[in-house]
Amino acid sequence: MQNTRNAALLLVLILALLAGCTAPAVAPAAPAGGQEAPGVQPADAAAQPQATGGQVVIAPGQPIRIGGSFALTGPIPDPGKDIRQAAEIAIDDLNAAGGVNGFLFELVAEDGACSGDQGTVVGNKFAADPTIVAVTGGTCSGETFGLKPILLNARIPFVSPSATNPAVTGPDCDVCNRVALSDALQGVVDADFVFNQLGLTKVAVMHDNSDYGKGLAEIFQNAFIELGGEVTHFEGVQVGDTDFRAALARIGASQPELIFFGGYSTEAALITQQMKETPGLENAKFMSDDGAYTQQYLQAAGSAAEGAYMSFVAGDQQADKLAAFTEAYVAKFGVEPSQLGPFHGQSYDSVMLIADAIKRVAEVDSNGNLVIDREALIAAIRATEGLEGITGTLTCNEIGECGAGGVQIFVVENGEFKQVAGFGL
Amino acid sequence: MTVTTYSSTPLPRRRKSAAHWVLRALGVLILVLVIWRVYTVGMAENYPASFWISQALNGLVLGGVYALVALGYTLVYGILLMINFAHGEVVMIGGFAGFFALQFFTAIGWLEGSAALVAFALLLIVGAGMLASVLTGVTLERVAYRPLRGAPRLVPLISAIGASLFLQYSVLLIFGVSPRVYQKPALIAGGFRVGDVFVPYTGVIIFATSLLLMLALYLIVQRSKLGKAMRAVAEDKGTAALMGIDVNQVIVFTFILGSALAGAAGVMLGFHNTIVKFNSGFILGLKAFTAAVLGGIGNIPGAMMGALLLGLIEAIGPSALGIPTEYKDIISFSVLVLILIFRPSGLLGEVLSEKKA
Repeated sequence: MQNTRNAALLLVLILALLAGCTAPAVAPAAPAGGQEAPGVQPADAAAQPQATGGQVVIAPGQPIRIGGSFALTGPIPDPGKDIRQAAEIAIDDLNAAGGVNGFLFELVAEDGACSGDQGTVVGNKFAADPTIVAVTGGTCSGETFGLKPILLNARIPFVSPSATNPAVTGPDCDVCNRVALSDALQGVVDADFVFNQLGLTKVAVMHDNSDYGKGLAEIFQNAFIELGGEVTHFEGVQVGDTDFRAALARIGASQPELIFFGGYSTEAALITQQMKETPGLENAKFMSDDGAYTQQYLQAAGSAAEGAYMSFVAGDQQADKLAAFTEAYVAKFGVEPSQLGPFHGQSYDSVMLIADAIKRVAEVDSNGNLVIDREALIAAIRATEGLEGITGTLTCNEIGECGAGGVQIFVVENGEFKQVAGFGL
Repeated sequence: MTVTTYSSTPLPRRRKSAAHWVLRALGVLILVLVIWRVYTVGMAENYPASFWISQALNGLVLGGVYALVALGYTLVYGILLMINFAHGEVVMIGGFAGFFALQFFTAIGWLEGSAALVAFALLLIVGAGMLASVLTGVTLERVAYRPLRGAPRLVPLISAIGASLFLQYSVLLIFGVSPRVYQKPALIAGGFRVGDVFVPYTGVIIFATSLLLMLALYLIVQRSKLGKAMRAVAEDKGTAALMGIDVNQVIVFTFILGSALAGAAGVMLGFHNTIVKFNSGFILGLKAFTAAVLGGIGNIPGAMMGALLLGLIEAIGPSALGIPTEYKDIISFSVLVLILIFRPSGLLGEVLSEKKA
């Protein structure tokens, strides 16, 4: 009796622990339309940056250190690795071109794990390191929400290559920038594609409860209803779950024509497979987003993926630059970047954008040190205009949206993505 | 204000009985509320009967997997009175071994041969998963638990949690974070249809195999000589040793049994859900442990019953109560808490508590 009681008590303890672990996964995501992300309070007056702003002084021979928050573990490790490697290529290219006044760049890569918690950890690490000049990242939106308040407070500007939740940037955050395009665009284009081009009016929306997935799903849902369509279900699942049959059976009961999923590749692949076994959904179409637009999705979903739609917020690819980049990438890492993930161009450009701003503000003082004024750098990144990158001509607007390009829509055909609509076609 | 002093003997008893009745009334109230909710919300959706049947089938398959894993917890608890928290990782390693065996048999072309050959290969794949799990389980026992046999009860528990993390992150380092994907051979891909209900072949195989394995386990424990020894050791280690039973051998045998079931569960789940990764045993392990506690930990039929019940609740609960499926875990853990409040030793725990008291 006593033993069983102890076991029960222990179970409750473990559950409490587990609840603590998974809490960020179920935290509500940012509402659509550029509002503040929940859980990320705007820094109050007392926490606002000290007026001095400070300077980074780099002694001769020392590198210019750029932090990087990459999702190397978590739900999308392959795209995270791709983004990191693309950033390394950018650093190599910068150093091959002589750096800034003879000072070379160095990438300080950390694992942001695609989670808000880990984003906070990485942010604190960078904030505590006075040699970090700027940050490229985070990979995921949730991760970036973790970084954002800390970097804002520490006056370290960041440029995210791939965080697409609308609330990542905003008028209240002068250090927040991104090269990726906001989901405010993607969700609306997706809804328009489903309603007007596929001609479907009855859909179900699913999401993975991440800041990114749920945010995008909400935008899609709102846009679809606005167009006059019907959304039968709005169901969340948990990242890491592998059996979605119960949720799908429920959705199947209302027989939607398409399921839109906001989330990452593993869950998207499992839903694609299990849909085929669910009464009412055998012939329903599947559509997902740039988080699932990966080789990993194709591999995991197998033949069930045929006919699935994916959207991707693509840059305006500059063919010659991309070719040179791919060549350097394959030479260094032995793998085609597109085998790992879609965001390498954005990642390369995000580092280039930071470096370009540094070049504009860095000065050499009388002792031969390189001096970078933090406030000047923040302003310089925001002032970027007409920078030629792999993903197009980058110009930052007043809230830090620096990306070029538009939304592309792909269909899976014979195990490969084939573009069917959208930008650049 | 009057101060009354009571003699201490009769009152606690009366108070306990009052609390007991309050608890009973509360239980009935909760039950009525749940039924009312199911009647007004769940039934109002007017799902067809085929919907409930397919949800129940999903639940039974899930329950079958939970049962195989829960038995590992309950067997070890019954004998060592410790919770083997690394058991979920034993399942995961079985899943990985099954994946590599599958790759091997695909490479040598057995999975495109005749149905009999494919079935034989599948058996070997499950066998490979079981073997890997058994090796892991036995090593765990030898390295992480046996040296701590005489230590206070919390010590092996901490060691188990450490072993769990060690195994998870070793697999992470060796095989990376990306999930491994099982490719179902044509023989077991898809399923058949009964009316509006779709039944996947893998689901049938999982349920049937778990019933068979549970029956085999029951026979081993109840009928074989080693089973008798296991029960004796569970009753009283010291006395069993005096009777000439090799306690260490019995404990190793218990780990072998539990891990073999876990390995089978890992491989079958790999075929069913197609994905295995370094942390896929973690949540599964917790759920199975919940199932074991639900049924009364240490009790073998209890673990089976608790697991099937938990699987059914997870599959049917959200639809019946009319709440989003993402809250399925809340429902199952609420049921656990409620059952522990009303039956602190689990559904079938009484038998055990009498024995152990």
